[in-house]
Amino acid sequence: MVASRIAFISEIKKKPVTEQYPYKPISVPEGFRGKPVIDPEKCIGCGACVNACPPGALSIYDEGNYRVVKLFLGRCIFCGRCQDVCPMGAVRLTDMFELASLSRDDLVQEVRLLLEKCSLCGKAFATRREVRHVEEKLDPEQRWLAHLCPRCRALVSAKMIGYARGCNR
Amino acid sequence: MRCDEFIAKTGLVDAECVDDSTVLVRAKNVLETAEKLAEYGPRYSTGVGIDYRPINRSYLMHHVLALDKDGLFIVLEASTGDPEPSIKSITPVYPAANWHEREAMDMLGIRFENHPEPYRLILPDDWPEGVYPLRKDYPYDEKPYDPRSIADRAAPRYFSAKTGVGEKRVAAEIPLGPYHPALHEPEYYELIVEGERIVEARYRGFYVHRGMEKLAESRLTYNQIPFLAERICGICGYTHATAYCQAVEKAADIRVPVRAEYIRSILLEIERLHSHLLWFGVAFHLLGFDTGFMITWRLREKIMDLAELLTGNRKTYGLNLVGGVRRDIDEAKARAVLEALDYIEGKFKALIKQVKDMGEIIARTKNIGILTRDEARKLGAVGPHARASGVDIDVRRDYPYAAYKYVDVNVPVMDGCDVLSRILVRYEETLESIRLLRVFIREIPAGGLMAEYGDIPELRIGIGVTEAPRGEDIHYVVTGRENKIYRWRPRAPSYMNLATVPYMLVGEKLANAPIIIASIDPCFSCTDHVIVIDVGSGRKMSLMKALRMI
Repeated sequence: MVASRIAFISEIKKKPVTEQYPYKPISVPEGFRGKPVIDPEKCIGCGACVNACPPGALSIYDEGNYRVVKLFLGRCIFCGRCQDVCPMGAVRLTDMFELASLSRDDLVQEVRLLLEKCSLCGKAFATRREVRHVEEKLDPEQRWLAHLCPRCRALVSAKMIGYARGCNR
Repeated sequence: MRCDEFIAKTGLVDAECVDDSTVLVRAKNVLETAEKLAEYGPRYSTGVGIDYRPINRSYLMHHVLALDKDGLFIVLEASTGDPEPSIKSITPVYPAANWHEREAMDMLGIRFENHPEPYRLILPDDWPEGVYPLRKDYPYDEKPYDPRSIADRAAPRYFSAKTGVGEKRVAAEIPLGPYHPALHEPEYYELIVEGERIVEARYRGFYVHRGMEKLAESRLTYNQIPFLAERICGICGYTHATAYCQAVEKAADIRVPVRAEYIRSILLEIERLHSHLLWFGVAFHLLGFDTGFMITWRLREKIMDLAELLTGNRKTYGLNLVGGVRRDIDEAKARAVLEALDYIEGKFKALIKQVKDMGEIIARTKNIGILTRDEARKLGAVGPHARASGVDIDVRRDYPYAAYKYVDVNVPVMDGCDVLSRILVRYEETLESIRLLRVFIREIPAGGLMAEYGDIPELRIGIGVTEAPRGEDIHYVVTGRENKIYRWRPRAPSYMNLATVPYMLVGEKLANAPIIIASIDPCFSCTDHVIVIDVGSGRKMSLMKALRMI
């Protein structure tokens, strides 16, 4: 009995340790994994984040002339895999964690990127930015290839190899 | 003992080495082989049913037996084929296989001959017959029925200490759980009491089976599963993610960089500290010592802050990938860990010193909830729960993994077999965790965080095992193609420990039931609704209603 009373009395003399949150803001350490934000200026719509995302919070689909990268925070687990794999450094986890909202729309971020049409068949196949990103990595004389859809590029490449080998049929 | 030595010693035919510490025994007669292996005194660890039909038209049952002294796993394989898959049950030899075989029965439709309790375990009672969700031809997103349309449900069946399926025979039954709206997890105990004494205890669980295995094998890739595995448990998630990664690393023979191993161990010990402190708080609360609850949870908050600092999140650290970890620990963070440890150690020691002098707590824990050494071994109890019953096992020492390979782990074992021993074992373990953390922080070598590896080969077996705060956590994987797992079976420590609870409850006073159940550190549902049975009419009513009638 005595021991438990001593424990109780020594505790009751202390000041409360309760944080005054939400009346006072609370700080989070550096490297905190909060709400992910896509920088619409940097995103090229490659879909690497969509592939890596474990819960399927990120999705990618085409709508008219645009490719949409959609982030739905309702599914997000804040693991930061999107940030790891993004080749452009466009996804970043912020220190925001107060995400409660009355509207579902507040939990959605959409990045809309103009699609590039294949210069041969006219089918939309990648975003303009992604094509430009690839173009920059190619030699100047190969750059036109970046504007072909994968199917046309395969056909054209096969033909070119055929010409080079002299089997012109 | 190494795998090839074991095969030479036992003279088993049809045995092969999967790796240094895993033997695969393909048994023609599984019961006979199981009996033969029982001579070596193995502990039943996990059982994995696998739908292998796409590969060779058979179902496999892999029983994993652990030889703790030798650090060796024996995978006992039994196979059967369509249309009526049937395997001899080994539950008569290994009572701990009971639930595992029933799980394979529920999920894959394998029948186990001569199983003592061949009843449903995992699936809901109103799940249709003949629908087996873990078969490969069952789509992961299919719902077999609309739950609202089921008119009459089958009566639930229970796991019981005394009888198999309980028959009503005594005056009062007291339900513990399961549908508490706010606290812990849904698990249901039905206690039959005569006066104050519990004469029978039945258990029904698996209310929160979430189909994670199916989800993992059908939808996720290797590096997405760690994040799912982490969500198996809200308290010891990181140990699941680590066990999964270790299983895949073993199957694919990936060598994790030493620094990454140390970081994993540091996080695992931080998780153990948080889990044990949480448990102390819950236990003190149940014993009516709420000051102790406040103190331990305040100390635990320091650990939560540490986790947030090291990983970016209080829980679900999310740092594991197959092959390594995602984030480094720098000087400043290491210093913060050491400072917090100094603070916690002093306060915690002072608290437990007081607790040891508290007559009320000793009276409510000493010789309460006895689980004898034999029962613990027979039922396959693991972790601090087993160690408090004198079973000397600890994965960190017996099957060294991560950075535990490089340090000596002291394993506290007590033979009080009661709740008090479980408290004291966890106290010693908490101090050992603090010691280990200091060692890890001091000795962590420089180096990379992630191993380089190519494609993961197909149809390899991997066993990943960690010492979770509650005991041995074992993940069994069979690798698949196209960056996907073929079969993943996590077995959490409470799976083994829960089966021991009915044994501990029988003969005890009702008032001790909460602390006995809590002493294995499960996540159990709260205890606040009581049904009173009118003995004459057999009519049931709630306690509140009964009180109003008085």
